[in-house]
Amino acid sequence: MSEGALPKKNPVLRVDDLQKSFGGLAATDHATFGVEPGTITGLIGPNGAGKSTLFNLISGFYEPDGGTVEVNGTDVTGMEPYEVADHGLIRTFQTPRKLEGMTVREAMLVGPRKQPGESFFKLFTSPGSVDESESANLAEAERILEEFEIDHLATQPATDISGGQMKLVELARAMLAEPEVLLLDEPVAGVNPTLAKKLKTQIRRLNEQGTTFLLIEHDMEFVMDLADPIVVLDQGHVLTEGTPEEVRNDERVIEAYLGGGA
Amino acid sequence: MSALSDPKGALEDLTRAEGWVLGVSVAFLLFLFIALLTGALGPSYFLFLVGLAGMYALLSFGLNSQWGFTGLINFSVAAFFGIGAYGSALITASSSPVGEMLADVPIVGSLVGLPIVGLVVGLVVAFIMAVLIGIPTLRLRADYLAIASLGLAEVVRLIVLNERWLTNGSAGVRGIPGFFQGWPVLSTFPEAMPGLRLEIIPGSPIFLEASFWQALLNVLLVLAFSGGTYLVLRRAHRSPWGRVLRTIRSDEDLARALGKNTYSFKMQSFILGSLIMALAGVFYTHLNLYVGPGDLDPITTFYAWVAVILGGSGSNRGALFGGIVIVTIREGTRFLNDFALPIDPAPLRLLLIGVVIVVVMRYRPQGILPPQRELIWPNAIDGRGTPDKLDSGVREQKGGGGDE
Repeated sequence: MSEGALPKKNPVLRVDDLQKSFGGLAATDHATFGVEPGTITGLIGPNGAGKSTLFNLISGFYEPDGGTVEVNGTDVTGMEPYEVADHGLIRTFQTPRKLEGMTVREAMLVGPRKQPGESFFKLFTSPGSVDESESANLAEAERILEEFEIDHLATQPATDISGGQMKLVELARAMLAEPEVLLLDEPVAGVNPTLAKKLKTQIRRLNEQGTTFLLIEHDMEFVMDLADPIVVLDQGHVLTEGTPEEVRNDERVIEAYLGGGA
Repeated sequence: MSALSDPKGALEDLTRAEGWVLGVSVAFLLFLFIALLTGALGPSYFLFLVGLAGMYALLSFGLNSQWGFTGLINFSVAAFFGIGAYGSALITASSSPVGEMLADVPIVGSLVGLPIVGLVVGLVVAFIMAVLIGIPTLRLRADYLAIASLGLAEVVRLIVLNERWLTNGSAGVRGIPGFFQGWPVLSTFPEAMPGLRLEIIPGSPIFLEASFWQALLNVLLVLAFSGGTYLVLRRAHRSPWGRVLRTIRSDEDLARALGKNTYSFKMQSFILGSLIMALAGVFYTHLNLYVGPGDLDPITTFYAWVAVILGGSGSNRGALFGGIVIVTIREGTRFLNDFALPIDPAPLRLLLIGVVIVVVMRYRPQGILPPQRELIWPNAIDGRGTPDKLDSGVREQKGGGGDE
């Protein structure tokens, strides 16, 4: 990589020639793309195109067969998910399991990274600093819950809220982890229209405040409205990328969605 | 908010289950008190039972910090208990082969025989064993730990049974001193105390002799062990550390995606629980003064699991309560020997435990004292938030109106 030769901003996430097969089936087939800082990049593709596999490869849940993933210029290929998260890449899940025995407020507090209270010994050797950071995190969690307009849920058991509210809590919690780039896996799947709208507003607001997003979504209206650029995935490789307008009018995309060759 | 400054308020604040447990406990204590006064229950034996209850509470605490906190399925409670028991027994007992082997080694030889050294050795061996089992299994799904721990329990038991040069085999280890032997004051305390004769109810005097004072020391010891453990677990359970463990229990992938090194957390949880179980074993050694391979039978593992599930997985108070229930059933059935029953007390004991667990699972699958109440932290009641909202949500239905 020669400096100066690249006038473009350095992408916060760069996926280069990524490959992964499951028993002969290439789920990710030499995928290459980048996510520029400050964007909301959409990742779309028909069912089985390999979007979730790609997410799992990027976030360290799967080990790629080949290729590299870079976060902020650091090669994170083959790292454990927690190490990838330490480099600033946070992801959400399509269907998160609810945290039993926790209030929403408590579930939020899992978010902040590198809490001193996560060391068993510090609980007893420096209780002061543990409690201090806990109060600070709590205040931050309350602030974010308010921004998301879900502070009324704070004392509810995390198991008692609706799926849509859970998605909001997930997003709010991910913000506590202070991500450089946030990967959202189908943020509005199964969410009622009112809450989906709320999620859209929140994502846009967070983006304006500087968070970079990469999101998978099947709801075309949602993704076309929110994301720019959009990366289209088909059978594990990148079919095309561009503005929503370009993607919408691309014949290959239409063909992929309608089941090309049929 | 403390129960001392506002006893009435604290009492009203209890959930129905808590009130029920409190009521039964008070009734049970009264019953024991009467039994003590009338001489039906010997005071030394009573204290022995309290020691045993403390030991089971420790075992339950240990399992709770693995299964209840993190969701780790450990079927080798008896093995870690046995490692603690044998570790301290082999160091301290007069009949120990290990003691003979090490007696002539400089420095080490002078340490052999000290109960505190036995304690350290028991814990260190348990620590090593936990790490060895944890390394290959904790990266995998929960089932693998379950299977490996099942195997470990048998391996440890068979080693103890067959390696006579090390453990005396089936003869077990005798000649174990009390925990406080060699300590200033405390080692001679039982003999120094006068024999007392109390006659509260005319005609049935109670004798307090050396064995009573010895048992009292044991109770103080187990209270220190289990009390200390409880405080540590309480702090840990509510802390960010415990929060990560509870997240892992519900959804490990979520914890990983949020930057938590779940393997390390699971290892810490496993080691912590194993050490607590070994601590229970160390105490048992000095309570019973004899350790044999029979003490490593899987039934101990079974009892610990029943105690934790009965009390409410994840709840430290529940583990304590479950441990006491188990000892009550285990020892209480001994008194049934005096009555003519269609079945012997020994199988009846298991039957009774089976019935209790079935009934609890049927009517209260979350356990008698589930953890919700101890976990509201940061606590919504101390000034923040609104208590009434909390009542409807996280708390259980309160007593009062519900019964009619």
